[in-house]
Amino acid sequence: MVKLAEYSRTATFAWSQDKIPYIVTGTASGTIAADFSNDSTLELWSLLSDPKKDPTPVASITTDARFKDLDWSFDNKFIAGALDDNGKIELFSKEENDTKISLKSLGKFKKHTTAVNTLRFNPKQQNVLASAGNNGEILIWDINKTLSSTDYSPSAPGIAMSTQDEIKSVSWNKSLAHVFASAGDTTTYASIWDLKAKKEVIHLNYTSPKTGLKPNLAVVEWHPKVTTYVATASGSDSDPVILIWDLRNSNMPMTTLEGPHTKGIMSLDWCTKDESLLLSSGRDGIVALWDTKANEVSTTYPTRSQWCFKTKFAPENPDIFASAGFDGQINVNTLQDLTNSQDSQTQADTNKESESEFWNHVSTSTPLEKPTVSKIHAPNWYGNRSPAAQWAFGGKLVKISKDGKGVEIVKPKVQGMECNLKLNE
Amino acid sequence: MVAIANAHNDLIHDAVLDYYGKRLATCSSDKTIKIFEVEGETHKEVATLEGHDGPVWRVDWAHPKFGTILASCSYDGKVLIWKEENGRWSQIACHAVHSASVNSVQWAPHEYGALLLAASSDGKVSVVEFKENGTLTPIIIDAHNIGVNSASWAPATLQENKPTKSPEESRRFVTGGADNLVKIWKYNNESQTYLLEDTLQGHSDWVRDVAWSPSVLLRSYIASVSQDKTCIIWTQENNDSSWKKTELQKERFPDVLWRASWSLSGNILALSGGDNKVTLWKENLEGNWEPAGEVEQ
Repeated sequence: MVKLAEYSRTATFAWSQDKIPYIVTGTASGTIAADFSNDSTLELWSLLSDPKKDPTPVASITTDARFKDLDWSFDNKFIAGALDDNGKIELFSKEENDTKISLKSLGKFKKHTTAVNTLRFNPKQQNVLASAGNNGEILIWDINKTLSSTDYSPSAPGIAMSTQDEIKSVSWNKSLAHVFASAGDTTTYASIWDLKAKKEVIHLNYTSPKTGLKPNLAVVEWHPKVTTYVATASGSDSDPVILIWDLRNSNMPMTTLEGPHTKGIMSLDWCTKDESLLLSSGRDGIVALWDTKANEVSTTYPTRSQWCFKTKFAPENPDIFASAGFDGQINVNTLQDLTNSQDSQTQADTNKESESEFWNHVSTSTPLEKPTVSKIHAPNWYGNRSPAAQWAFGGKLVKISKDGKGVEIVKPKVQGMECNLKLNE
Repeated sequence: MVAIANAHNDLIHDAVLDYYGKRLATCSSDKTIKIFEVEGETHKEVATLEGHDGPVWRVDWAHPKFGTILASCSYDGKVLIWKEENGRWSQIACHAVHSASVNSVQWAPHEYGALLLAASSDGKVSVVEFKENGTLTPIIIDAHNIGVNSASWAPATLQENKPTKSPEESRRFVTGGADNLVKIWKYNNESQTYLLEDTLQGHSDWVRDVAWSPSVLLRSYIASVSQDKTCIIWTQENNDSSWKKTELQKERFPDVLWRASWSLSGNILALSGGDNKVTLWKENLEGNWEPAGEVEQ
């Protein structure tokens, strides 16, 4: 399995919040389709589709404009799209009638004065959405009011500490519903906002000790558990670092992660089920998995030929992640992908091919690209986490002790089963 | 009662006694397997087996007629086979056909030969036969989209009522997956592989463990436990009717259930949960499941 699916779309995407997730993809803006068409579609895909067949969407609708970003609300009710259409956002829902699944547009809303680049639902208040665009314009929406009242206006987050420029990334604090962060491609800082205080409360910026320069902090992402930890990534090609900050000391980052990236980073995602896992991807086409406990890269996935602009874990099943690139593909992969003897078998088979066979295959077969694993790190949802007990002969039960590091062999008394236990002796 | 404290430096994921109850194998996130000799109430550590590159999830002893042999599986995607000879342990084989974590490993009933069943997060299960001449012939099956968490053999049954079938065709096993399903597989001579015989729906989250009762009765019992905090008992009469679903108890358990184990005789089920409790269950005469005690710490 490993590469679970590959959708031939130049599109941005969002995951649903299901254990067996759906993925919704929307034609990306700023690209030219192979047939030069300007069409845009929003499509829904199921991972339960037969992996051997060419994937087909389970639902699809045409939209007026292409997408700069997509997000799916935490209660699974709404899909929000940032349209490439003068500051419009569009809301959608996934509808299920009996066995038929469809996508439905709930309305388009133009409140931004310039382009909307990104949007994110609030994990705590599930009807709250933040959208951000050019000229530092950020709007906070109440989706219920947006849909029910025609004269509803989303609110601005408050006073900025300095003039804001193009905003490309927003991230809500995972526990404090009134706190979020924003960052952009053209600014050297990331901003922390407090909606209760109605202002920008912290300005993060970083001077590289190596170059003496301040890289652009293009991407922000909050820690899944600790409210004061936030990760930022540099969009600068000369210094593509990931910085982890403890806001209690916002003068300098707590950790600097440097590794495989050779060009600016465009996307970060911190795993909500295991906070030691962080994904990044960038303009170098590299997708990397980091171990934030050991502060090192653990896996580097096969490099894509174009910018890889969005990489996200499936929130409820983070063994799976998707990455979207301008190479015209959305790849759905599993975190782990090991070389095994079957692959070497395929390799051995190609060695036996005749010259003509080789040239017939070489154009159709995809290269056996494997991730480079620097350090095997098992996510915390793997492995038994119980005092696992197993029966043995003689009515004995072997169990792991409470602290997980010892073993006990006991002979439990089961009422009415004494005779049987004797038989076992 | 035997208690071995601090057997490993990191979490232990599995601990299994051998056929005679004399040797205990444990495996851990510290990437090692340890072998203990157990005699009465005493124990002695005799070996530490190193070879896996990741946490080791499960171990299983082969039947003693094949020698002192242990199989282990790990997040590193490998199944390793270990053998003791004259007090020395060594790795004798590596079964590396999976491209993701191998989450469970189990030897088949000894009547079938040295046959090993492995379940992996790559969505596949593999059955590998260790032949006399050292060759391995793995059968690989696409079992569950998004990953297989556990697989368990059916006991070897005598099918006297079906004399025409080849003995291989009575081989069956059960798998539980990340698609919330339980599936039954049966060997098919014609296609030389295991074919899907039944798909059992009932869980609403990952199936963490499946266990086919080793008791050879007219009725087959399978227990499946899940992340959804429930245990389902699946029963089938005479090996060929449809599977009947019985919820072990109506209300959910307080936490995720990780492991199910049947006693070797008498069908007592031990369930291990994330709440650190091990509970025992048995079937009453009315066919309902009732608590048969809790294992004290």
